Amino acid sequence: MSRVRDMRTVRRAQQFGKFRVTQLNLVPLVDTFVSIVFFALTTATVGELAPVVPGVTLPESSVGTPALSQLTLGIGAVVTLANHPVMNTSDAAAEPSDDARRPLKVPTLYRAMKSLADSLRAAQGVGADGAIKVALAIQGDRTMRYDLLSRFMQTARLAGFTRLSLQVQRVDGMAR
Amino acid sequence: MRRAERRSGLGGAESGHLNLVPLVDILTSIVFFALLTYAGAALAALTAFDLELPPVVVTSADQLKDIKSEKDVVNLLLAVRVSSDHLEVEHSAEGGYHTRIDSLNVRSLDSLQALMTDIRARYPQNRDVVVIPSDDVAYDDIVRVLERLKKARYSGIALGTKARATPVTVP
Repeated sequence: MSRVRDMRTVRRAQQFGKFRVTQLNLVPLVDTFVSIVFFALTTATVGELAPVVPGVTLPESSVGTPALSQLTLGIGAVVTLANHPVMNTSDAAAEPSDDARRPLKVPTLYRAMKSLADSLRAAQGVGADGAIKVALAIQGDRTMRYDLLSRFMQTARLAGFTRLSLQVQRVDGMAR
Repeated sequence: MRRAERRSGLGGAESGHLNLVPLVDILTSIVFFALLTYAGAALAALTAFDLELPPVVVTSADQLKDIKSEKDVVNLLLAVRVSSDHLEVEHSAEGGYHTRIDSLNVRSLDSLQALMTDIRARYPQNRDVVVIPSDDVAYDDIVRVLERLKKARYSGIALGTKARATPVTVP
């Protein structure tokens, strides 16, 4: 009797085996899509944003080219170069130039910039006094006077940064 | 009963469950790296004014070698002088042009934009302008002037500095 039942079971298994429901595990697919959606949303909102140097209140403008996250000279209470503090801004303003032909030069900042410029030149295979292809972004406080800004710009150009860019806060267009 | 289950294909089916463990793993990794790479800097939508080098007067044969095409030669020297209480626009055409716009408010900036748009239309080959602010002008005011020049379709903007022989004063 038992043998007959076993044979019947085997026969049914052979008969219905081709109709067996196959399971598809969708869990990894859902995980992957959740990650994709997360990064898509994050990139869409954060991708257009660039880091602002802490302690700097930027001027505002409705025009200009989109700013990229790049090598930045920050001018707030402290002068920072590539996120590293170099000197106090008041010290930079008071520091006299060591070159009579370049009265705007800030020697301490110049040394930091020259060191950075030389390492960039070495990485790019450019000669000792060659132009650096990397642009230097300046994020300055809106209350800064132009005589101070011109000293920093002159110092940057002496160090080899010929491409300068002023980064400011973007606002929606209307006459201010 | 068994026959009915067999017919409907539900015989032996287990209750389904969603495995959330890999999702939690991924989110934990995202949070971990987000915390690790947090630099403390605020993020903001920024815009940039790319500055050109101010034009120089060619005084030697060596400097002539740097001129590769006619585009490298300025055919109209256009300058905007910015003071804390007025603006001045000068250019080299028509035997020398000079005009003064009083004040540095929204109305005077509107006048500046209209004037610069007019000059741009009269000399369409020229897209360069040199901005020469006074020492005491605030950076915010300079950016407002640069903004108006961009709106007047000048793409080659340079910031110039008055010649001086002594170090600047401490603000």
